Amino acid sequence: MSSFRLTLERRQQVSTLRSTTTYILGLLLGLGFGLAVLLAAGAPAATLLDDLVIQVFFSSMGLAQTLTLAVPLILVGLAATSAMRLRFWNVGIEGQLWLGAIGATLVALSDFGSESLRLPTMLLASAIAGAAWIAVPLILKLRAGVNELVATLLLSNVAYLLLQHLLFGAWKDPVNSFPVSPRFDDSEQLASLGFGNLHSGIYVALGITLLMAILVQKSRTGFYVDVIGRNRTTALATGIPVTATITLMILLSGALAGLAGGLIVTGVEHRLTQTIGINTTFSGIVIAFIARFNPLAVLPTAIVLAGIYNAGGTLKVFYGIPDSIVVLIQGIVLLTLLMVQFFRSYRVSLIRQSAPQSSQPST
Amino acid sequence: MSQGSPLLTLSAIDKSFDIHRVLNSVSFELARGEVHALLGENGAGKSTLMNILIGVYSADAGKLELEGKPLKISKPSDSARQGIGMVHQHFRLVDRLTLTENLLLAADDHPQLKSRAAAREALLSTAKEIGFTLNPDCQVGELSVAEKQRAEICKVLALGARILILDEPTAVLTDSEASSMLAAIRRMAESGRSIILITHKLREVVGFSHRVTIMRRGETVAAGLDTSDLSIEKISSLMMGSSSTSLSPDGINSKKAPGNIQEHGPDLLAISHLNARRDDGAPALTDVSLRVRAGEILGLAGVGGNGQHELTELLSGIRSASSGSVMIDGADALGLSPRQRRKLGLRVIPADRMASALVSDLSIAANLSLTSVVSGRFGRLWLNRRRIQREAQASIEQHEIAGARPSGRMGLLSGGNAQKVLLAREIDSGMKLLLAHSPTRGLDIRASALVHQRLREAAAKGAACLLVSEDVEEIMALSDRICVISAGKIMGELPGDASAADIGRLILGHE
Repeated sequence: MSSFRLTLERRQQVSTLRSTTTYILGLLLGLGFGLAVLLAAGAPAATLLDDLVIQVFFSSMGLAQTLTLAVPLILVGLAATSAMRLRFWNVGIEGQLWLGAIGATLVALSDFGSESLRLPTMLLASAIAGAAWIAVPLILKLRAGVNELVATLLLSNVAYLLLQHLLFGAWKDPVNSFPVSPRFDDSEQLASLGFGNLHSGIYVALGITLLMAILVQKSRTGFYVDVIGRNRTTALATGIPVTATITLMILLSGALAGLAGGLIVTGVEHRLTQTIGINTTFSGIVIAFIARFNPLAVLPTAIVLAGIYNAGGTLKVFYGIPDSIVVLIQGIVLLTLLMVQFFRSYRVSLIRQSAPQSSQPST
Repeated sequence: MSQGSPLLTLSAIDKSFDIHRVLNSVSFELARGEVHALLGENGAGKSTLMNILIGVYSADAGKLELEGKPLKISKPSDSARQGIGMVHQHFRLVDRLTLTENLLLAADDHPQLKSRAAAREALLSTAKEIGFTLNPDCQVGELSVAEKQRAEICKVLALGARILILDEPTAVLTDSEASSMLAAIRRMAESGRSIILITHKLREVVGFSHRVTIMRRGETVAAGLDTSDLSIEKISSLMMGSSSTSLSPDGINSKKAPGNIQEHGPDLLAISHLNARRDDGAPALTDVSLRVRAGEILGLAGVGGNGQHELTELLSGIRSASSGSVMIDGADALGLSPRQRRKLGLRVIPADRMASALVSDLSIAANLSLTSVVSGRFGRLWLNRRRIQREAQASIEQHEIAGARPSGRMGLLSGGNAQKVLLAREIDSGMKLLLAHSPTRGLDIRASALVHQRLREAAAKGAACLLVSEDVEEIMALSDRICVISAGKIMGELPGDASAADIGRLILGHE
C-alpha cells in the first residue's frame, strides 16, 4: 500500500538569481493567466497583441491615454508604498482620493484665494483633505489600537456617500442632468500638453516619485521607516521617534492619494464626478507590491497597469468585455506573484510512502 | 562507553557556503547511552555539523551511518523519523499555542500523540521522568526563557528522540537549574538515550560528559576522547589552539581590580521604591531600590523570570512603572523617552539582542549606525550613507567582527559576532550608564571573555554598569557589589567577593 504525502521545507538560503527569476516568472505566469481569462471572456486572440500592447504603448493616441491614466495610478502606488513600508495597511486610498477631489472642488467652487494661485491652492487642498481623511484611522490606531484595515476601509464608504451627497445636492451642476459639479474655470484646470488628454499633472507625478525615492533612500526618515517596518521594538528601544515617523508617513500616504484625486479633477474631468478613482485602492496596493515598495519602480509599474486599463476600455467598446476584467487581471497577476514568492522560500515535494520505515523511534 | 559498535557515525563530512569552507573532513562518533560533549568556539562548525545531522543542511561530501547502516537524511523529517532530535538555542515553539498544542503541531509522524489527551500525558510523563515541572496548558508566550527551554526539551523527548542534540542547554539557566538540568541529562543517558551536548562551559563537560569531541575552524582536533583523561586546562588549550592564553573554566581570565570598591563616583543610576507589573497584570517588581555609582559594576543575580526582563525594559524606557522613581545621572528618567535617556548616557545590551536591539533584516552598517543616526551624527535631514558605510567598515575592522561586511545582512552573523556589533554600537563616547542583561548568553569562551573585558573597560572609564545575569559565575567575576532579585524583590546586597553559596542562599532564601 503506498500513499503520497506533500512536504514543505524552507530553503536554507535564497540567492539573488533565484529571487529575480521567481519574480519574473511570477509576473509572466500572472500575465499568462490574465491573458487566458481574457481569451475565455471572448477577446479575439488574433488582435490581442495589437489591443494590449501596440495600441496602448506604441500608438501616439494610445500612449497619451495610457500616460494620462498613469498619473493618478503613480500617486496611489506611492501612497500605498508609503504606508506599506511601515506595514500599515491603508486600504482606504479611494476614500482619501475622493476627499482630495472634494477638497480641490471646494476651492474651485468657492473661488478661494487669488486666481493666479487658484490651481496650486486646489492641489494643496486635495493633499490636505486626503491627509485629514487618513488622520482619523491613524489616530484611532495610535491611541486606541484600532486595526487600520477596518478603519480605512470603512471610511472609504463614508467618503463615497459624502461625494454623492455633494453631487446630488449642494454641488450639483444646475445645467446638467447628471450628478456632476459645475465645470471648473480655465484657471482651475491643469494645462493640456497637446498630446491627447495628457496634462501637466504628469510632471507633478514624476516630481513626487523622485522626491519619494529620495525620502525613502536618502533621508533620515527613510532609515527610520526601514527599522520601524522590520522591528518596532528595536526602533522604540533605540530611541527612534516611532510615532512621529508613522504619523508623517501615513499622513503622506493620505496626502498622495488625495493629490491623485486633485489631479484627476483638475487635469482630466475638470469637474467633480462620482466615477473618479474607482478601484484605486486595489490598484495602488497591486502597484506597490509589484514594485516591491520601491518608489522608482512604482513609475514603470503604474504605466504598465495604466496600459492594461487603457486596453480594457478598448475591449469593452469593441468586444463587450466588462471593464471589471482589468481588476480581475490585476488580482490574478498579484496573487500569482505572491504565490510564486512562496516557492522562492520553500521547497515543496511530493513523497511516495510505501511500507512504514523499518526503524521506528524507540520509546 | 567505547564498547561495541557506535550508534551513530559521521565521517569525512565536508560543507561549504559559497566559497567559505565551514567543515573540512569532520568526523564524529556517538555511542549508545553516552553524553558526548561537542566543543568549539563560535564559528568552529559545531552548529553546521549538527544541522547536517538533523537535515537542515546537506553535506557536500561524507558519510552518515546509524547502527552501521547508511543514513540518508535530506530534510528535517528524515532525522526525526530516525529518532534524532535537537533542542536549539532559539526555541521552535509557537508563542500563541499552549505546550500541548505545540507538541500536537510537531507530532506529524507520531500517530500515538495525535490526541490532545495523549500529547498532554506524554509531556507530563516526560517532564516527570527528567525531573521538570511544567504546565502543559500554559501558553508558551507567557513562559520565561528558561521555562521555554524546559518545555522545548520535553517536547523533543516526547516526540521519541533517542539521539538528543542539546545546543547550549544551560546557557539560559542559573547554576541550580543547570545542575538539575545536567543531572537530568545523565538520567536520560542512563535510560539508553544518547546525548550530544554542545556547550561552552568546560566545567559541565568535565563533570557530566563521557566523551569529548573538539572542533576548531571546521576541523576535528580531538575526536571522542574519554573525559576522565582530560582536565579543563587540556580541553581549553585544544579548543583555542596554540595561541591559547590560560583561561579559567568559564572563560573569565582576569580578576577584578583589587580595592576599586572605594574609588567609585556619584550615583549615575538611582532606582527607588520602583513597582511595575507584568503584561498579564501580576506584579513584576516590588519596591525595588538600587544605586549604581560611576566606575562600578553592580551585579544583579537571580533566577530568570523574577522581574529582570521587566526591570531592563523599564530602564530602557519601553515599559512603564506603576510607581517609584528612576534617576539617571541626577535627572528624573521615568517620564523620558528612550531617546532622551540615551542622551543622558544610557546604553543597553538587552538579553534578546535580535528582538530589541538589532534588526536582522537590515545591513550590518545600518545596525552599527542605528543610534548615531538617531542622535543625528550622520546628518539631521539627509544621511551621509557613504560615511555610514565607511565607519561601519572601520568598526568591523576595529572590533574584529568576523565574516561581516557593511552591506551584509545582520541576521547572517553568528551570535558572538552579532553581540560584537551591539557592543561596538553601544559602548561609545557618550556612555555613562551601561545596562547589560545576560550579555554572554550563548557566546563561546573567547566572545564571553571579550564581553567581560568590554564591561570592565567601561567601568574603568567611569561608566556605571548594571549587569543583570542569571549566570552566578559571571556575576561573581565582574561585580563590585552584588544584589539578588527574587520574585521581583531585592533580597539583599553582598560585597563583590561574596561566595556562590552566599549568593545562592539569597536567591533561594525567598522560596
